[in-house]
Amino acid sequence: MEPRRFIFRRLIQIFVIFFVILTVLFLLFRLAPGDPISRMIDPDMTTEDAERLREQLGLDEPLWVQYVYYVRNFFTGEFGTSFHYGQPVVKIIWDRLPNTVLLFTSSIILSAFVGVFLGKIASWHKGGKIDSVLTIGALVTHTVFLPWLALILIWVFAYKLAWFPITGMVSEEVWLDPEAGIVAKALDVFHHMALPLCTLFLIHFGAYLLIMRSSMLETLKEDYILTARAKGLEERVIRNRHAAPNAALPVVTSIGLSLAFSINGGALTETVFTWPGIGRELVFSVSHNDYPLAQASFLLIAIVVLLSNLVVDVLYAYLDPRIRY
Amino acid sequence: MALLEVDNLSIGYQTRNGTFQAVDGVSFSLESGRSLGFVGESGCGKTTLGLALMGLLPPNGRIRQGSIRFEGEELVGLPEDRMRTIRWRKIAMVFQAAMNALNPVHRVADQVAEAIFTHEPALSREEVNTRVEGLFQLVGVPKDRMRDYPHQYSGGMKQRAVIAMALACRPRLIIADEPTTALDVIVQDQILEETKNLQQQFGISIIFISHDISIVADVCHDIGIMYAGQIVEYGAREEVFETPVHPYTRALLASYPTLNGTISRLKPIPGETPNLISPPPGCRFCDRCPGAGKTCVTARPSWVEISPRHKALCHSCS
Repeated sequence: MEPRRFIFRRLIQIFVIFFVILTVLFLLFRLAPGDPISRMIDPDMTTEDAERLREQLGLDEPLWVQYVYYVRNFFTGEFGTSFHYGQPVVKIIWDRLPNTVLLFTSSIILSAFVGVFLGKIASWHKGGKIDSVLTIGALVTHTVFLPWLALILIWVFAYKLAWFPITGMVSEEVWLDPEAGIVAKALDVFHHMALPLCTLFLIHFGAYLLIMRSSMLETLKEDYILTARAKGLEERVIRNRHAAPNAALPVVTSIGLSLAFSINGGALTETVFTWPGIGRELVFSVSHNDYPLAQASFLLIAIVVLLSNLVVDVLYAYLDPRIRY
Repeated sequence: MALLEVDNLSIGYQTRNGTFQAVDGVSFSLESGRSLGFVGESGCGKTTLGLALMGLLPPNGRIRQGSIRFEGEELVGLPEDRMRTIRWRKIAMVFQAAMNALNPVHRVADQVAEAIFTHEPALSREEVNTRVEGLFQLVGVPKDRMRDYPHQYSGGMKQRAVIAMALACRPRLIIADEPTTALDVIVQDQILEETKNLQQQFGISIIFISHDISIVADVCHDIGIMYAGQIVEYGAREEVFETPVHPYTRALLASYPTLNGTISRLKPIPGETPNLISPPPGCRFCDRCPGAGKTCVTARPSWVEISPRHKALCHSCS
């Protein structure tokens, strides 16, 4: 299929799926226990005031009218005001989103590269000592409970050794210092990011390692590997040029799938490290009945997951010519 | 001196139940520019033999004894880096294209060029490209399809590309393992015809491995019939086909249909091949042989010379 048509078709699919998510989310919030008004109103308000507020917010309308407003608001970019912060939801999300993207893009890139590289090494030494160490290590770090790992890292490296800050993303003394240049500021962010990045990396690279290892072992049995050997190529060339590109395909798929997971895991990581990202905001908004913020965060996650799957599809088509046409 | 001399070659696969003797005491020699065909049913050791010649046995396979001399050089026990320079440069292989012999993520032309780059690193990009173009022309794949990926090719085109790849470094010997098995008979015939032409044109020796006796009969000067890891009859094509002496060869010929000649029922060969982990002490075919006597069961048969260019491994053939 022509690439442009392929992407267009996937975009239509994504739009349909997104509409389903939008609707489910709407119903979910209406079904959830608790009254959104109860969070906003003052104990001193009269019942009439409460009714008026309900009217203002459109909560007295029938469900389907609310749904129409909801969809219209979404497409006009109207997400309302956060109950807790009293600021437009859009602004809060725009503030938090780059922080989450920074943390997750770097952790996924890092863990995918390291995982693929180590998985390749493990498969070369199949059954040997290096393989055992890498496989067992990957299983341990991948299955460990994330908040526990995060707390251990904080305790050892931030509290005992004091190499890294315990919480937050920036230090005020650096960012408020008019003398500090862009490099100093960036270094400060990386200093804060080290531990959360480490946590996410340790949790995720094992999965990529194990997938790459088993995929590589499967690929090495393929007939074209025998052809490559018969051609007199060196083992290194056979593995890197003939086996690895084929073996890496399942890894690309799993990157897309793990993106959805990493946002859940992200909520935990961001909460433990008080990283000012979307995940933490999501947990906060749900526990504080901040409906507008929660709704927008959920929708954003849905968009991210859908789009990242599109990116994976396009990437897959780029890597595997059989899919391209 | 013959191009290839194989002497008393035995190959075993380590399995959980013991050593599987895939090839047992095989000897033959091949002159430059000649073609030799090995025929036998699945599991008779013909593919193992082909892989052993390239030094490509799987990790559990081992040459137990015997020698393989190519251009006078002993290949058994040759260091891997020396063997790599012989692979493709001197001995190339044509695989069955229905297998994934071509890597799906690389362009076909690049895969052919890779063989040239590997063995002749001194060549420039242009020289390699020119040669690759020539090879595609030679095997009849259109020039504008060179940059395609393998999945865009038909079965016949893939097979042609695989042949082009085998010719890339102008080898002395090509081992063709079931090269036309998955193709329909028309394409099969075209490819065999072209293979014959190429062989004559370049004076390449070919070892043809097939389960299909008619293909080998079409292409090869000499024929070896393999059964349960051994060559049981060996000789010039005409002699083996016109006066087959080994009971297995006769049974094999009787089990194939023929268009000319008398119409007769095809005769399947009753019984099964012996277990090669603990092969029978006598002749390996004796269980299924209609004329087996007492000695056949107890003693290993020895070679019987029928003519200077024809011999058989049998007790009762003389």
